[in-house]
Amino acid sequence: MGRYVLRRLAGAVPLVVGIATLIFFLVHLAPGSPVDLIIGPGVTREFRTQMIETYGWDLPLPVQYVKWLSAMLTGDFGYSFSQTRPVRDVLLGYLPNTVVLSLAALTVAFFFGIVLGTVQAIRQYSLLDSGLSVVLLFFYSMPSFWLALMLILTMSLTLGWFPVSGTVSTDHEFLGLGARIVDRARHLALPTLSLALVLTAGIARYMRASMLEVVRQDYVRTAHAKGLPERVVVFKHALRNALIPVVTLVGLYLPFLFSGTVFIETIFAWPGMGRAIVNAIGQRDYPLVMAGSFFFAMMVVLANLLADILYAVVDPRIRYE
Amino acid sequence: MTSHSSRTVARFAVVLVLSAVSTACGGGGGGPRPVPDVAFCQEVMPKVEAYVARARAENPTPDDPRYGGTAVVGTIGEMADGMNVAVSSDYSARQHQQFVNLMTLIDYDESVAPRPYLAESWEVAEDNSSVTFHLRRDVYWHDGEQTDAHDVAFTYTTVTNPETAFPNAAFWNHYVEGEAGVEIIDDFTVRIGMEPHSEFLDPFSSVAILPEHLLGDVPSAELREHPYGMQCPVGNGPFVFWSHSPQERWVFEANPGFPQALGGRPFLDRYVYRIVPDPTTLLAELLTQNIDVYVTPPPDQAQRIIDDPNVDLRRFPFRNYVMVGWNARRPQLADARVRRAITMGTDRESIVQALLQGYGTVADGSVPPFHWAYDPDVEGLSYDPEGARALLEEAGWADRDGDGVREDANGDLLSISIKYNTGNQQRQDIAEIMQAQLSEVGIDVVPQVVDWATLLQQINTPDLRDFDGVVIAWVAEFRLDDLDLFHSERIDQPFAWSGTRNPEMDRLLVELGRTVDRSEARSLWSEYQKVLIEEQPYTFFYFPDRLDGVSRRLQGVEMDARGEWVNVKDWYLDPASR
Repeated sequence: MGRYVLRRLAGAVPLVVGIATLIFFLVHLAPGSPVDLIIGPGVTREFRTQMIETYGWDLPLPVQYVKWLSAMLTGDFGYSFSQTRPVRDVLLGYLPNTVVLSLAALTVAFFFGIVLGTVQAIRQYSLLDSGLSVVLLFFYSMPSFWLALMLILTMSLTLGWFPVSGTVSTDHEFLGLGARIVDRARHLALPTLSLALVLTAGIARYMRASMLEVVRQDYVRTAHAKGLPERVVVFKHALRNALIPVVTLVGLYLPFLFSGTVFIETIFAWPGMGRAIVNAIGQRDYPLVMAGSFFFAMMVVLANLLADILYAVVDPRIRYE
Repeated sequence: MTSHSSRTVARFAVVLVLSAVSTACGGGGGGPRPVPDVAFCQEVMPKVEAYVARARAENPTPDDPRYGGTAVVGTIGEMADGMNVAVSSDYSARQHQQFVNLMTLIDYDESVAPRPYLAESWEVAEDNSSVTFHLRRDVYWHDGEQTDAHDVAFTYTTVTNPETAFPNAAFWNHYVEGEAGVEIIDDFTVRIGMEPHSEFLDPFSSVAILPEHLLGDVPSAELREHPYGMQCPVGNGPFVFWSHSPQERWVFEANPGFPQALGGRPFLDRYVYRIVPDPTTLLAELLTQNIDVYVTPPPDQAQRIIDDPNVDLRRFPFRNYVMVGWNARRPQLADARVRRAITMGTDRESIVQALLQGYGTVADGSVPPFHWAYDPDVEGLSYDPEGARALLEEAGWADRDGDGVREDANGDLLSISIKYNTGNQQRQDIAEIMQAQLSEVGIDVVPQVVDWATLLQQINTPDLRDFDGVVIAWVAEFRLDDLDLFHSERIDQPFAWSGTRNPEMDRLLVELGRTVDRSEARSLWSEYQKVLIEEQPYTFFYFPDRLDGVSRRLQGVEMDARGEWVNVKDWYLDPASR
């Protein structure tokens, strides 16, 4: 197993370097330069040139590329001039927020997705099944930014149950440890829901289909026939096998959550990776854009690896040696 | 695989979640102020902590119910470059330098007349060749060092040093730059050299003073990247920096040692600047009383704010104008008659009504209507499609082939593209309305959207100037100076978008810069406004009113053309609401 993981990681290296190269040239081929965002009226043309030289933006692209790649391989991600901090610090600052939100959304989505999908499958064609299908399809068709605004409108503005946005309240520093955790959780609720509701709907559909297939298998019929209670049949015999196709979704959703939550981060004023990278693109903060994209590429590779390992966990027939 | 190892995986996931939560919690910091892991910050922040503790012991908070509490201001954007006076051009950042964390030598009263602030008095040499500032002796940096003439001299040499790349270099056009321009007479007296010119105090109301004892050893070219600005600024103003989480919030606390003569410590215990990038969310935060001030809601949210009993809409004229800049280097725009015809063919009044819901004034030039230099008797170009057609005929543009678009004698079409930046609905609307209205007078307009960084490069690069027209805006200082925009000698500098050459304009721009006396300057300004209308380097659109949503529980708030934060140290929370 360990060797398998290592082999997979080694195989990912050329992939990640290839992606990094592509990103580097795409970013630099885009028109516009950071200099024009920095300077103001009265800055002379001579000074503009001087500034371009200081940052090394006048060097030929291949030279810039080699400098950047060799720095990055030694762990130096460069300096983010839009945030005036090393890129490493910038990313480490946003990472916890992104990880918390992504994992919360993923946990909620998979928990409810699996439960609802299973319930629908074992009560196939019941009123409950049809009702849930309608509700889930409704959420599945909603763009998450619209859902987010509706949640703010109902849960915050009208009912006042949850704070509108942000990661903590203004008086967070003065709260006790317990109150601080509650404060964080309350702020986490709406962004998590906005992300998770859409995912839940998808996962539940997969789960329902997969479960329906499994409950028709001979071994499930056998389990029923030998008089096992319904609960044992479903949870012990059927569920684990039905989970196999659903596990693939972890590999798909995890990188999506890490990179694709810009709208949610914007609406809920959540300082995460997505917003950081989009801002950096707007400001042509090359080092930050490239390091961020590189990070996302790593996430895709790792998430796929994680999915493969999870297969082995849920499916006894799969072994990696 | 067995069920045993599956449990291990599950536990690993739980540990991951827990550790992620606890790292996130660590960032907020309770009790002692959070100190970024940077050598400079590690060194200065403990001194700040000690200073605040000492000052608090020495200056007990007066017994008045107005003291205390936290006020939160919500805005869409981060303060780029933070408190780094030397390199920042961001509006909010500069407001915080002037009124929150740092101090300027002078500031302006409600009528925009200079009054003492860090400088308790000043005098001007008889021949107007220098100004001497006498500093207060009771102002301390937030690490306990006294603010003195060395700080002023350091700041002046830094911002006038080309290596710093101070973004408003035009400020220093009439000053003696560098070390030669500043003389320390004693520890609290400093003299700055200049050539006689108008409104010479203005830069000193806008550029805050930086601490020499902390930044004096930093080479000017490296100041841009110094942690001072964004990670641990040490100011001398009414609020002490507490913490900054990028793209999230800045927290400041009251400075208990702020000079009594200037009002002593601010009423608020803490002041928070929150970044909420979505306008709908900001409105919800204001209406749920989570933020006390919503800075510049778009006009379409104004009515919602007016209708809410707990918040007020503040409205005041401001210093920015939206316009379409023309590139007169293009053959179809080289003739001032064509540019005038474009303006006359555009119904600007109805555009202001439609786009700003009336929260704005049609502009005919760069001088804002509230400014002393504004001459209300100068008549701008009004909406006159007939007159526009006549002007175009006169300039030799006629529809020779009957396709609805005019051509010149060579058959070249009168077709212009108008660029605007991505994500700005108002500017997009302007380009599209102009397209519709100008087709009526035979001009073909092609709106074109470009992202902000690309747009700036296309219009600012002297050898490129890849645009015909561009919808964009300027924010003016109180000292108006259009030299960099319209003087023909600056035509190869980044901001000479129009590239027009007009000897009368050149003469006025130079003379206006030199005229010290306001009454003398007034008639020149009036002439200048007429030339601008004649030349039309831009089609000036409007001066938008500045709007702000302010919660009723926050009191004592003054907002006007000086900015939102002008009296933040006098803001207080209604004691009944706390």
